[in-house]
Amino acid sequence: MATTRTALSRATLGLYGMAAVTLAATASSAFFLWARHASPGMAVAAALPPSLVLGAIALASRFLCNALPLRSASRSSIAIGHAGSAAAASGLWVLTWKSWVPALNAQIATQHLDPDYSLLFALGVMLYVAAVAVQYLVLEIEALREAEDEVLRYRVLAREAELRAFKAQVDPHFLFNSLNAVASMCGSRPLEAREMAQRLADFFRLILRLGALERITLAEEIDLVQRYLAIEKVRFGDRLTTHIDVDEGAAACMVPPLLLQPLVENAVRHGVASMVEGGTIDIKATLEDHMLRIVVDNPADPDRTDARGEGIGIENARGRLSAVSEGRAMLQAAEAEGQFRVVIELPR
Amino acid sequence: MIRVVIVDDELPARELLREFLAADEDCEIVAECANGFEAVKAVAQHDPDLLLLDIQMPKLDGFEVLELLDRSPIVVFVTAHDEHALRAFEVHALDYLLKPLSHERFQQVMERVKRAAGHERQPVANLATSLRAKPLQRIVVRGEDGAIQVVPVARLDYIEAADDAIRIATSGAKLRKQQPISEIAAQLDPDRFVRIHRAYVVNLERIEKIELYAKDSRVAILRDGTRLPVSRSGYQRLKELL
Repeated sequence: MATTRTALSRATLGLYGMAAVTLAATASSAFFLWARHASPGMAVAAALPPSLVLGAIALASRFLCNALPLRSASRSSIAIGHAGSAAAASGLWVLTWKSWVPALNAQIATQHLDPDYSLLFALGVMLYVAAVAVQYLVLEIEALREAEDEVLRYRVLAREAELRAFKAQVDPHFLFNSLNAVASMCGSRPLEAREMAQRLADFFRLILRLGALERITLAEEIDLVQRYLAIEKVRFGDRLTTHIDVDEGAAACMVPPLLLQPLVENAVRHGVASMVEGGTIDIKATLEDHMLRIVVDNPADPDRTDARGEGIGIENARGRLSAVSEGRAMLQAAEAEGQFRVVIELPR
Repeated sequence: MIRVVIVDDELPARELLREFLAADEDCEIVAECANGFEAVKAVAQHDPDLLLLDIQMPKLDGFEVLELLDRSPIVVFVTAHDEHALRAFEVHALDYLLKPLSHERFQQVMERVKRAAGHERQPVANLATSLRAKPLQRIVVRGEDGAIQVVPVARLDYIEAADDAIRIATSGAKLRKQQPISEIAAQLDPDRFVRIHRAYVVNLERIEKIELYAKDSRVAILRDGTRLPVSRSGYQRLKELL
């Protein structure tokens, strides 16, 4: 619906523009003829056909404006492009006059039209340049409206992604398995059981607290991830080792909350848990040239049954990331030689 | 005495089962396994009465373990996933236990196990095969030496029937498995694997071309040069897909 409406208004706008240029050209050139002793009616009749031609050319200037956008094209190419096309357009308009006036003169015996062609050329250039200016104005207004739409779209996306992220956040099986570990330790290692119960409670409290915030530091997110990994380590034992390396600049960066946590959860659930001998989850974060770069590496069995596709966790993280950064961040996931890697790049 | 094998890839989960079983005088733990490979070996070695089996494990999941067993002990699944638990009944597991485990529920299940222990049971393995998740994503094979091979279906070239068994061709090797070809053909993804002949199922991606061999008979030539016969109805099925 929206696109049809835009297209319609664009077409209408174009027709209005063409009418305006035609009218202006007719009026001004007829005035020049009248000033050179033509009757008003005759002047208008003579001016109308070439003016229609100029109106059409001015309308077509839109394509050149599109090809030479104000924001990205260089000033010199815009100037040269439009100067050239202005000369060509005005030349065509004068040429129309030159072929039309003798024919008119031959038809009508009572008057003799004698337009000043150099003046008409100057007028053609001016009108063309004015038309181009208006085209650019319209394009700018459209770009502005699109940018506003884009921001709105990102906001909606951000909300949706957050909702999904929260739903996916707490994998109930993580809780069930952890509680099973607590139950197991109650008999033989009651102190450790108590500690594990405490860790679980702290972890879920932190999820709730951080999840309610708009942005948190990477250091806070890493803290959450470490708490999560400590709990998983009780279940997986020696099969799970972790290595986390976050440089100082990166730790202070602001990130959307619970961005890494689901990715690390994936690294455990689909990665280390798929390996008989287990493996190491490697998290590295660096800040270079105002770009925060986070890499999560983990081994994964290429023959695991859930190997296909990127999975909902990656998709959600990508959605949230693009929502908070308005499309400037990127998230890549790749698997090669039994190693799964997620790379996030977020401009600071 | 009920002889038990515990299979779970998480140590705390095994410890809890061990503790529960220790309280039961009629039970004896003969093996504890941390993955599916160990489980298959332990069952072959100890011939237990009861298998307490986790489902989500690396390399071989619980269902695949059942498929590879010659003997069929009583099986009780132990899982955090309710949806797996429901499937447990389809493969004629006796019961299932949900994590975190309740001692009361464990005792109830053990009562059932003891009552069933003396009776004839339906073999679980074949049922496990026929009721696994479809389409099949990997094929598990146990060689004559007892070595277990896991073949992801993407690496499958073709399968040929050999009497009541099949030979699975995968990157040059052929693995024999005791299973009717019709059964495995029904489990594979029909968009990727086609029964081109009574005795052949082929991976579509491996087909280089189909040639007319004689009147009404064709051969499929695979990327590696292997030539397989294509029956008339097999050619019909191929044409529908290509």
